[in-house]
This record gives sequence, C-alpha cells and structure tokens, in this order.
Amino acid sequence: MLGFGNSLRKMLIAFTLLASTGVAGVSAAYASAAAENFVQTNVNRGLQILNNKSLSKQQRQEQFRGFLLGLTDLRRIALYTLGPARRTATPADQDAFVEAFRNYAFAVYEAEFTKYGGQTLRVTGSVPHGPGDELVRTVLVDPQASKGQEPIGVDFRVYASGGHFSVVDIVVAGLDLAITEQEDFGAFLAQHNNDVRALTANLRQRAERVRATGQL
Amino acid sequence: MRAIAKAFGAGAALLLAGCATAPDPSGANDPYESFNRDMFNFNRRVDRAVIKPVAEAYVDAVPDVARDSVHNFFVNLDLPITFANDVLQGEVERSGETALRFTLNSTLGVGGLFDVATTNFKLPFHTEDFGQTLAVWGVEEGPYLVFPIVGPNPPRDAVGHVVDIAFDPMTYIDIREQFLWSAGRSVLEGVDLRARNLETLESIERQSIDFYASVRSLYRQNRNNEIRNGQPDVTNLPNL
Repeated sequence: MLGFGNSLRKMLIAFTLLASTGVAGVSAAYASAAAENFVQTNVNRGLQILNNKSLSKQQRQEQFRGFLLGLTDLRRIALYTLGPARRTATPADQDAFVEAFRNYAFAVYEAEFTKYGGQTLRVTGSVPHGPGDELVRTVLVDPQASKGQEPIGVDFRVYASGGHFSVVDIVVAGLDLAITEQEDFGAFLAQHNNDVRALTANLRQRAERVRATGQL
Repeated sequence: MRAIAKAFGAGAALLLAGCATAPDPSGANDPYESFNRDMFNFNRRVDRAVIKPVAEAYVDAVPDVARDSVHNFFVNLDLPITFANDVLQGEVERSGETALRFTLNSTLGVGGLFDVATTNFKLPFHTEDFGQTLAVWGVEEGPYLVFPIVGPNPPRDAVGHVVDIAFDPMTYIDIREQFLWSAGRSVLEGVDLRARNLETLESIERQSIDFYASVRSLYRQNRNNEIRNGQPDVTNLPNL
C-alpha cells in the first residue's frame, strides 16, 4: 500500500513538474513575443521621430533623446560599467557617476546623430535568458550598404519588471556595449586607484568637450 | 623550413604554457600589459605616420570598383585556408559553401575579382582560421599579446596564423621571388584592411577613455563571436 502511494506521489510530482514547464514554456513564449513586439514597436516609433521632416534638427534630437531615456535603464547600465569599484563607492559617488554617465552617453549620441542615414532595424527573433530577461535579435537594414555586405546583427537585452520593459544592453555584431564600457572604465579605474570620482570627472570633461566642439 | 617550424612550435608551446601560470591581478588576463601598452602605442605612431596616410591615399586615388576587386581577389585567395579549417572543425555545410564560393568566384568571378557567389548566388560568406579551429578544439586564447604592426595577437591566434601558412596553396606554388610576392601581398592586404576600417577605428578611439583597453576588449569579443560563428553567447551575458 505504501509502495503504491510512493509511486503515486512520484508520478504526481513528475506530472506537476512537466505541467509547470509546459506553463512556463507558454509564458516564456508569450514573454518572448512581448519583448520582440516592444523592440519592433519602439524601433518604428524612433524612426518616425528621426524621419519627421516637419521638425527642426534640434527638435528631432530632443524628441529622440526623450524617447531613448524612456526606453533604456541608463542607471543600471552605468552602475554595471563600474564593475567591482561599485561596491566601494558611496551612494553619493554612485549617483554623481550615473549623472555624468548619462550626460556623456547623450553627448556621444548627439555627436553621432547627424550620421543617421535611413537605416532601420528588423526584428528576427529572440532568445530567452531567464524570466523577464530576453535577448531580442534584429538585423540592420542599410539602404546605403553595398550589395555584398553581410547584414549586421543588433541584439537588444530587454528586462521586464512590473509589466514595464526596458533596454539594458546592446550587442552589435557580437560586440557587447556594456562589457566594452566596463572594460574601458575598468582599465581607467585600475590606473586611478579605483577612484570613481576621477572617472566621473573624466566623463564630465568629455561631455563638455563634445558639447563645446560638437564632435567627439 | 622544418627547423623554422620546429622553432615556432617550441615558442608556441612556451607561450601556451605561459597561459596556465601567469599571474593576473587585473583579471583581464593581460600579464604583459606594460609591454603590450608600449607596443600598442608604437603601433599607433606607425599607423599615424605611415599606414593610415597610405590607406587614405589609396581610398582617394583608387575608385570604389577597383578597390572592391582588389578586396575580392584577396578574400578569394584566402578561401582555401577557410576551407581547410571548416573541415578541421567538422563543419560539413560550411565547408561546402566555401568550396562552392571559391569555385564560382575563381571561374565566373574571373580569378576572384568579382564576388559572383554573393551578388548572383546569394551564398552566405564566412571565414575561418586555425586560431578559431584551436578554440573549437578547446584551446584557451592565452595571455593578451600585442605584436608590432599586426596588433593584438594572443598565443592561440599567433600559432593559428603560422599554421594557416601551411594551408595556403600559394605557399607551395613555385613563384620566382616568393618572398617579394608574399611581402607585397601582405602589404596590399594590410592597406585594404586599413582602408576599410578608417572610420570605425577613429570612432572607437574617440569614444574610449582607455583606447588600449577598449581594443583589447573588442578584439576578444570579436574573436569569440567569430568562433561561435555569429551565434549569440546566451550563457555568458553580462549580469546587469
């Protein structure tokens, strides 16, 4: 009697596990579709702004910047780029760094803004990395590219929390922006005694220089 | 020839052995960083003084179409190396693509000048080298190394380049003045490569705080992407 009960319980557990993976499978598929949709919709919105000829270049730039701000979790990215130094930095230093990072990111974006030449992104699928964590894959469609060129893949790392999506990283042709920035900043910090304030000051200077000269 | 190969083999073995034992305080597997930075800066000076101006002059003087033909010619010439490594990695479909590409471009493409495989046959393109093969076989990259002129060239890739010479049919064809041909080809391939990357490198330099560290990071990420044949590395995504 007991033996049968044990088998039954094992079967129940196995069945529950299977069912829950099934359910998880379904919700994972839903999450992937939602993340892909999020990326494609926002790619289209972004393009609308960039191609809006009724706005001045200044207006387009500002609208696009606001659009990007709402889309990305810059704070999370910034803190990641600090690497191990993040643990030893005070909250005030962290905040100052995040602010400088944000300004620098937008200074770079503005300097490169004029180079936009009609490119678009087409979502091709996604790869789940965990619950609320998707890598949405797109392909860069460049009307100006010469015929033979292999299409460039642009992957967006999308986090979902509280029903709200945000982009936390970009991978272009296999090159991960967050990783590259972390290693760049990491080398600087290693040569400056892990002083986050020095890095903050450096980013501020760069942002100012870009704004002043209009170039990187 | 054999003595040279032996010497390279010994040197390579030493370098690769160095991978296991070298100390690594920065966590970036760059125990020779100070030497590498010096070499990197030397390369930048040579680039500013000679290579970049030559590449820019090349772009100015030679029309698009001709430059594309030169590029196609060299790409085609290197396909046997890709083929050999496709086979060594057990990539049946990709080795077939490479063989077909080489045949089409060498014949219909008039000695490789025209990339008919892509434009007319939409054949996908990829390259392989022995450094990638070693990686597929499980060999670690080894400590970061910067070579003169050539740039980043960690032990696994350095060994790979040497072995690839053996996979290059041109090595065996008896050309008079083989050395001049090899040297000339290397120079022209170098100029072609530099010309195609003028804006990219400038962009990276402008956007970096530490150009050396950025290049190191990008070099490795690019290599790993090549080794995975462009597939995303979902298991190693950064923990944001």
